[in-house]
Amino acid sequence: MGKSGSGKTSMRSIIFHNYVARDTRRLGATIDVENSRVRFLGNLVLNLWDCGGQETFMENYFAAQRDHIFRNVEVLIYVFDVESREIEKDMHYYQDCLEAILANSKDAKIFCLIHKMDLVQEELRTAIFDERLHELEKRSEPLKITAFATSIWDETLYKAWSSIVHSLIPNVRELESQLQNFATICEADEVMLFERTTFLVISHSSRIECSDIHRFEKISNYMKQFKLSCSKFQAQFKSMEIRQANFAAFFDVLTANTYVMVIMSDSSVESAATQMNINVARKHFEKLEVTHMPR
Amino acid sequence: MLKPKAISQVLKQATTGGVKATLLLNSEGSPLAFISDSDRDARVYAAIASNIWSTFEKNGKNLMRDDNLKFLLVECEKGNVAITTVSNMLLCLVAKPEVELGILKAKTDALARHLEEPFQRMTTYTQT
Ligand SMILES: Nc1nc2c(ncn2[C@@H]2O[C@H](COP(=O)(O)OP(=O)(O)O)[C@@H](O)[C@H]2O)c(=O)[nH]1
Ligand SMILES: [Mg+2]
Repeated sequence: MGKSGSGKTSMRSIIFHNYVARDTRRLGATIDVENSRVRFLGNLVLNLWDCGGQETFMENYFAAQRDHIFRNVEVLIYVFDVESREIEKDMHYYQDCLEAILANSKDAKIFCLIHKMDLVQEELRTAIFDERLHELEKRSEPLKITAFATSIWDETLYKAWSSIVHSLIPNVRELESQLQNFATICEADEVMLFERTTFLVISHSSRIECSDIHRFEKISNYMKQFKLSCSKFQAQFKSMEIRQANFAAFFDVLTANTYVMVIMSDSSVESAATQMNINVARKHFEKLEVTHMPR
Repeated sequence: MLKPKAISQVLKQATTGGVKATLLLNSEGSPLAFISDSDRDARVYAAIASNIWSTFEKNGKNLMRDDNLKFLLVECEKGNVAITTVSNMLLCLVAKPEVELGILKAKTDALARHLEEPFQRMTTYTQT
């Protein structure tokens, strides 16, 4: 949720519909109340509410539909435009939402995205974020929140959404430990698990430290672009293998909801062996998914 | 799952006494693991061995009805080759000419028996 113009449609387009940031400027502004749904992680439905335009309409709508909208909410993602000139009003709407959440879905996880951070001078970003976070925490009591500074122009958007997806997987610890086992048996440097429609990183296991801390967001982005290029040729992306002098990377479908990426630097391990291991692991992770993914 | 290092250790134990190379291939003929002095040679052995195997198997199907191909011994000018199956994979040993066919077959059989059970278990997981 979030005020009109805060960036919800842009985010959704990038994360769920393979837009690149540049294209979001073409999106029409949302007038009145817009609701759209996207399905991901199998059975999870992301319900996007654009609370824009005329306030009276908004208020009436919410008063009438409140219970309906806020029932069975697993997670609330609220987007704040960091450049907003009406912080007080934004907060008022936000607190309205929280009240409704408290009444209808008190166990929902709450994420606040302080968005369009790219518009803030780099050296001021941390200070402004901390200030907003503090304010939000105070206003959210007794509910606990998680906040991120985001922008569609850099990797922060992927990072925030990865954390959100990560938090939605029950028993993610189990998944992580299984991924760790998989990496150890394969003798892989690193194994990453991606959500299948968004390519967001769900989980990863590293046996060798890598210096690039933004690699996950970058890979998400590259793989999405590649998948998009494939579909332009009416081909469905399924898997790929990249081999260089000092490493090999395997990217393959793992389960109904995930892709796996395996990074191997030991060149004595044959490709076929790694591929076979991915094949064997598939059934195991499929089972894990059936028992643990959100319904 | 397949522990690449562990498989290599086992194959290494067989690569002695005149055996030049030991290879484990998947059903498409790609090496899963191998021991050989030369990487290049090993890949050539893999290609030839899997090709010979699949040719015999295909052509023999009609003749032999339900009886599957179990073992191939090939005597060449510069050495002897043994090929057999481990679950749905191929095991191939390449030996110098002085290694007698009998001992080569015995060695290959022993290795295949050793690998059969774990690989059988793994294949049940691969089938989709
Ligand atoms: N600078 C900047 N502009 C953004 C960002 N996200 C969205 N915008 C722009 O903000 C405008 C409104 O975004 P939109 O997604 O339609 O907002 P919505 O009403 O919440 O759906 C568009 O012109 C976007 O290009 C961001 O992170 N940084
Ligand atoms: Mg919108």
